[in-house]
Amino acid sequence: MTAFPAPATRARGPEAAQALAAELSKLVSLPATWLTLGGTLVVNLILAMAFTIAGLHGSTGTKSATDIGLASISYAQAGFVILGVLAACSEYTGGQIRTTLIAMPRRALQLTAKHLTLAIVVLPAAAITAASGVALAAGVLGDTATPVTSGHVAAALSGVTAYLALTTLISASVGALVRQTLAAVVIVLGYFFIAGPLLRDHTPAAKYLPDSAGFAMWFPVADNASAVTPAQGALLLMAWTTGLIVVVMLLYRRRDT
Amino acid sequence: MRALAAEAWKLASLPTVWIATAVGVLVPSVIAGITASATLGAITRGAGTVPGVDTGYQELAFGVVGAIILGVVGISSEYFTESEESGGGRQITTSLTVVPSRLRFLLTKISAIAIAAALLAIIAAATTMGVVRVVLGAHALTLGADDVPRLVGVVCYWVYTALLAFGITVLTRHGVIPLAVLIANTSVVTVTYLLTKITPLANYLPDMAGVRMFIRKLADNTVEISPLTGGLVMTAWVAVLLVIAAIAFTRRDA
Repeated sequence: MTAFPAPATRARGPEAAQALAAELSKLVSLPATWLTLGGTLVVNLILAMAFTIAGLHGSTGTKSATDIGLASISYAQAGFVILGVLAACSEYTGGQIRTTLIAMPRRALQLTAKHLTLAIVVLPAAAITAASGVALAAGVLGDTATPVTSGHVAAALSGVTAYLALTTLISASVGALVRQTLAAVVIVLGYFFIAGPLLRDHTPAAKYLPDSAGFAMWFPVADNASAVTPAQGALLLMAWTTGLIVVVMLLYRRRDT
Repeated sequence: MRALAAEAWKLASLPTVWIATAVGVLVPSVIAGITASATLGAITRGAGTVPGVDTGYQELAFGVVGAIILGVVGISSEYFTESEESGGGRQITTSLTVVPSRLRFLLTKISAIAIAAALLAIIAAATTMGVVRVVLGAHALTLGADDVPRLVGVVCYWVYTALLAFGITVLTRHGVIPLAVLIANTSVVTVTYLLTKITPLANYLPDMAGVRMFIRKLADNTVEISPLTGGLVMTAWVAVLLVIAAIAFTRRDA
């Protein structure tokens, strides 16, 4: 009669750290991560240049280097959406998800680690992307730009960075839900670029939806009492993101892979 | 002919194509419904506005996203690599075994996508105009002889956009980049529209020229392009892109 050794259990703390390290290693070793981030940076600079030239012609309606430099972000966010979807869906092309879940059987921990890793990578990337656009606009506009306080610039930049990071997380959870890159990209981009803007124009309640609430974090909105303030926008977008991740996590724990 | 039937069958069996159909029909008709009821509200309040000349057509310009998805997945699905457990194969190898002539394969594919996009456009246009009519009731502008060329323009625009998306995806062989670029450019304020603020030449980009086929009043735009010129400009873009795609497709490894 052989005595079975008690199954080794791992302590929670080191397990979480290892999961984070594993997810980070997966994310930074995907060529698509760097291609997407690099491509987004380049596209954003080109668009920022275009907006700045339009600003020099005076057709943007504003002369603030911050506003002009950040205008391109509403298009460049597509790159961050792609990054989030790819990070989630790359597990499902081929059978990597099974290896992942054998190594990290606690699914909630694994999914949390994945989203946390994504935030760690995206935050600096988003900050660089946003800051480069503003720097470009400020450099080209020079003295013709409306002077702004550094506090205003810092607030706008941090708002944009947080917005892009949360958008990436939303995209990643949609990716984890849909599991197919193309379908997830269609859903998220269709929402952010078509359904969202159109709803915003037609229904007042749309200002509480993730895209409009997120926009309020950094985009200058008209002054009226019912408008969402940047802080409220940030809270709303965080609530949407957390809610979505929780829903995805509940489903993720129960579904087959 | 059998190759065309096979391509049509392949398209019809792709789930994403049905998503594209739903998007292409629902997006313009739902938005048209919302806009039309807003207009009706303004009319009954006595604000005295009549529905704009572009009611319905404006919305169909957004619905083209359905045609974009159709064009992209029509070819990107051929390059989708199966998981390793199912052999890691790609459909393109099977397709080219069955239809060895690259050019013939591409032409059949183009025909299938053009037919599908035209059908989608007809259904979407009929639904959207129907919704506008039902919501506005007696206030709706009557569809007359003027609308026939415009509706033909809508169908042309959708088919051309699907073919543009198709041509780009033949070159990239993966759907994400063309989808992202083209969907981002279908938003309310498109990148190409912003470019027209910098240079009037941007009015001759495919989408800006193509919408002239059925949109009569572009906001803040003074450059006049006749519907026929717009259509011809877009035809030229599509033709050039498809020739480049055909050359690349016949010369590259599959």
